[in-house]
Amino acid sequence: MNSRLSGPLAWLLLPVTGAVLVFILAPLAVTIAISFNDAPFVVFPPRGLTFKWYGQVFHDTEFLDSLVFSTELALAATGGALLLGVPAAFAVVRGRLAGREAVAALLLSPLVFPVLITGVALLQLFSMLRSDDTALNLFVAHVLVTLPYVVRTVTASLVLADRTLEEAAQTLGAGRWRVFRRVTVPQIAPGLAAGALFAFMVSFDNFPISMWLADAQHNPVPLLIFQRIANFFEPSLAAISTLLIGFALAVVLVVERVAGLRRGLAM
Amino acid sequence: MAASPAAAQFPPLAGRPRRRPLPALPPGAAACVQLAPSMLFLAFFFLLPAATLLAYSFLTQSAQGTVGLPLTLAHYRHFLGSALYLHVLWTTLRISLSTTAAAALLAYPVALVMVRASAAVARVITMIVIAPLIVSVVVRTYGWEVILGNGPTGVLNWLLLATGLVGHPLRLLYTDTAVVIGSLHVFFPLMVLPLASALGKIDPALDDAATTLGATAWQRFRRITVPLSLPGLAVGGTLVFSLTAGSFVTPAILGGSSAQMLGMLVDQQILTVYDWPFGATVASVLVAIVLAVNIASMRLLDRRRRLRGL
Repeated sequence: MNSRLSGPLAWLLLPVTGAVLVFILAPLAVTIAISFNDAPFVVFPPRGLTFKWYGQVFHDTEFLDSLVFSTELALAATGGALLLGVPAAFAVVRGRLAGREAVAALLLSPLVFPVLITGVALLQLFSMLRSDDTALNLFVAHVLVTLPYVVRTVTASLVLADRTLEEAAQTLGAGRWRVFRRVTVPQIAPGLAAGALFAFMVSFDNFPISMWLADAQHNPVPLLIFQRIANFFEPSLAAISTLLIGFALAVVLVVERVAGLRRGLAM
Repeated sequence: MAASPAAAQFPPLAGRPRRRPLPALPPGAAACVQLAPSMLFLAFFFLLPAATLLAYSFLTQSAQGTVGLPLTLAHYRHFLGSALYLHVLWTTLRISLSTTAAAALLAYPVALVMVRASAAVARVITMIVIAPLIVSVVVRTYGWEVILGNGPTGVLNWLLLATGLVGHPLRLLYTDTAVVIGSLHVFFPLMVLPLASALGKIDPALDDAATTLGATAWQRFRRITVPLSLPGLAVGGTLVFSLTAGSFVTPAILGGSSAQMLGMLVDQQILTVYDWPFGATVASVLVAIVLAVNIASMRLLDRRRRLRGL
């Protein structure tokens, strides 16, 4: 610990920070503890160690269907958001455009707008269009909520990319495509990867858009968990939650390695 | 490295016949092509539906359920004239403000430690702060439901009973406090990160100079740290307030019917009552609140930037 965190100030800051970290980890730790609890109800303290809830989860076809659907939806939405967002980020950073600021603000505006309301508005649009293909509706909606994350991370990494390297490659005779593939892409690759991973997680975790558009055949995982919280209170839900926590932590570690977490989030 | 000529590092490129450069596009044309798909997408699937929703709040729903003319302000009058709906509005504002205030209060120590601790410690804290952001809100709220459970088997009640701090289990779940705790947990990272980046930009020499001139730790915090980190606080506060005001999962699970917020009212009006114009009205009120807070904070930051630029 360096000298900037010492003396009476440290005595105040460190305990508060420690308490906040405990607060942050508490609901995750409790969920994990409950998932190994050998009791038919959610009770604390845990009564004994069991893996039976995990066994139950792997035979839970309703959950497995949701898991497959959520994964497909998140992959498709990430693809769509990359296709729309990467060219847009290039235009915002490098295009010679009037009103660049306004364009950037519009691209990020779905982040500021309450997502719940974006969902109602889309439900209304789709019912006016008589679009009753639930999977397609969800795909469009999820591209909309993931797009700003891709734009933000790719924009942040493009700003940092060194243009003189591209000019040098061009001077040396590389064509435009070759410059893009061999010089530009490697420089923004961490941003692209972080943007794609966040887009995937944002779609996979989304509740407030899906709640308006999903149906019984297309029921993303967060909706399934929400319905079950209301209906029954048994530890298999904690087992599902623990699996999702593990998955999210794996993503965090990957992003931290690839791009650095704070840069990846562009915050 | 510096001695080797650049051309020698790329022999395959240098040896190739030069490709004729593509005809140059007029400036801006490439950018327009790159922007067209995303702009069209946002216009059709974001701006249009948002405008339609706003329009619905001024239209009339017939007995058959079709929505159309005449234009009316009746839904807004209905909202503002009903004690029940005003109570929901007040609950939303109260919970959002409490969450923002609690987040600001707790974010300062954490962000200060993140900025001032050694790189390894800062990295661990950053990971712990950010990790929950990627865990689904539904999962985290489930964790809080287990912790705040009202019976003696709720984790917190069990702890309080076991340590003898209380004689009988407290009513924790289905209260405002439960919603504030859940929302604080969900949105806390969005306060800490902007604050930490603002704190990181403060020149440590200022603190040293103030110390030399005899300022106490509290004076330094109040006169240097707080004023210079205000932009980060404003950004984080706006995010936490907007997201809490627009949330659904946390109040639905932790608050239930005793802490009803605007988002739940929209859900109820549209999916249960099928009153589209009134649902659209409640949605528009919520959007208006969120936009007002965002615009106010943006203007505050702009004015500050201009003042400092002079």
